[in-house]
Amino acid sequence: MTLYISDLNLKKKHIEKTGFTYLLISLFCVLFGAVYEYYSHEVYSGYMIYAFVFPLAGGVLPFTVMSFYGCRRIPGRLTLNLYNAGIATLTVGSIMKGVMEIYGTTNDILQIYWIVGFGFVGIGLLLYAIRLLTDRKSAPPKDLKTGPS
Amino acid sequence: MGFFRKKYAWAFFYTILLTSFTLYAVLDTFVITRVYALAESDESDSNVSSSAEESDTQNDSDTAKKSSEQDSNSQFTEAEVVTESTYSDQNISITITEYREYDTSIYVADVYVSSVEYLQTAFAQSSYGRNITESTSAIAETYNAILAINGDNYGSQRKGYVLKNGELYQETSSTDQEDLVIWEDGSFEIITEGEVTARELLENGALQVLSFGPALVMNGSVSVSESEEVGKAKASNPRTAIAVVDDLHYLFVVSDGRTDESEGLTLYQLAGFMQSLGADTAYNLDGGGSSTMYFNGQVINNPTSNGNTIKERSVSDIVYIGS
Repeated sequence: MTLYISDLNLKKKHIEKTGFTYLLISLFCVLFGAVYEYYSHEVYSGYMIYAFVFPLAGGVLPFTVMSFYGCRRIPGRLTLNLYNAGIATLTVGSIMKGVMEIYGTTNDILQIYWIVGFGFVGIGLLLYAIRLLTDRKSAPPKDLKTGPS
Repeated sequence: MGFFRKKYAWAFFYTILLTSFTLYAVLDTFVITRVYALAESDESDSNVSSSAEESDTQNDSDTAKKSSEQDSNSQFTEAEVVTESTYSDQNISITITEYREYDTSIYVADVYVSSVEYLQTAFAQSSYGRNITESTSAIAETYNAILAINGDNYGSQRKGYVLKNGELYQETSSTDQEDLVIWEDGSFEIITEGEVTARELLENGALQVLSFGPALVMNGSVSVSESEEVGKAKASNPRTAIAVVDDLHYLFVVSDGRTDESEGLTLYQLAGFMQSLGADTAYNLDGGGSSTMYFNGQVINNPTSNGNTIKERSVSDIVYIGS
């Protein structure tokens, strides 16, 4: 199918909206970490302080780049769903690890956050990479094609 | 596969899943109780694994007992004598002194015992397991302890040796973890879990292993740096520590902290203080809101988690003096 300019603008708007949502999540994480650390009697955890890095580096940054540079190969819904779930899992996992470090305890169950989080992010990136490669092979460079994934 | 492509259905489903899992992780870490073993409440039932070792243990204990009786006989009294800050009987002598250092109240129990059998540990609810906690004073009362401090709070860690009163409960090691071993002759030694197994310690005559740390004083010298801290703690806090001065002569130390009256101590300050009291080997135990000293039926320090409310925190275990 041919992607019209209006469709592309719509996609761009969606990407901008996603990036903005990630920015709000990052700010929330910064605020949450600051408040939590304030009441933790100067017991610090990097996982709590830097939990915002996941939505910032994994969300704000890539989606802002996509938006600015007018990326024509927009990730599909499946890719976005898995990728977003991965970033959310990593962010929550980081905060949970921070909570436990500050309390002074551990739990192996937290490893599930890292496995699932990086797994989803990895699958999302893989699907996007496959799509980019597929599009490059099957379409002329100037044709604004998009796939269903 | 179509479900994964739906925007809101997937977001809703995954939010529920992630929230549920997080809730379970919180409950599993802090709430859900699992009892793995019941502790022996009578110390005479405690046993070291092999009968051969048991025999050696008895001989060594007798030797230590006799040696102590000769060295520190003057500390004991024929009859039980109890005052607000002292306790003594035929086998135990305790003197409580409150110091004021670094804008902090520090409570020191100077302890002499005729045998290491009077230096014991106890689990909350007399049970070994996860999320089994009780206040230090409640555990102390259960065991008729004369003096008690909070222990290593083993329940908050998934790794680390748990060896109490000659019974091995957990031998999962944490490679760089520094432990305090209390041997059957009453001496203290700092070991690293990566270098010796819990079973070897038991076979060699360890009565107690306390797994928190770090070591504060070793061979009479301060062994922590000015910047060293427990885990992620970077500041002054309430502290609990235990030390040996010489044969069957111990120090139990608890400091206040997090309050307007008491700032708390850094590990370096605590180590220096214990060295000044003559500690040969000193070891840091669980601190912060856990730090509690109980003597003759009363909590004598000001335990607090948030600095506003003076209240004991529930802990997994205690170290105590009792017969």
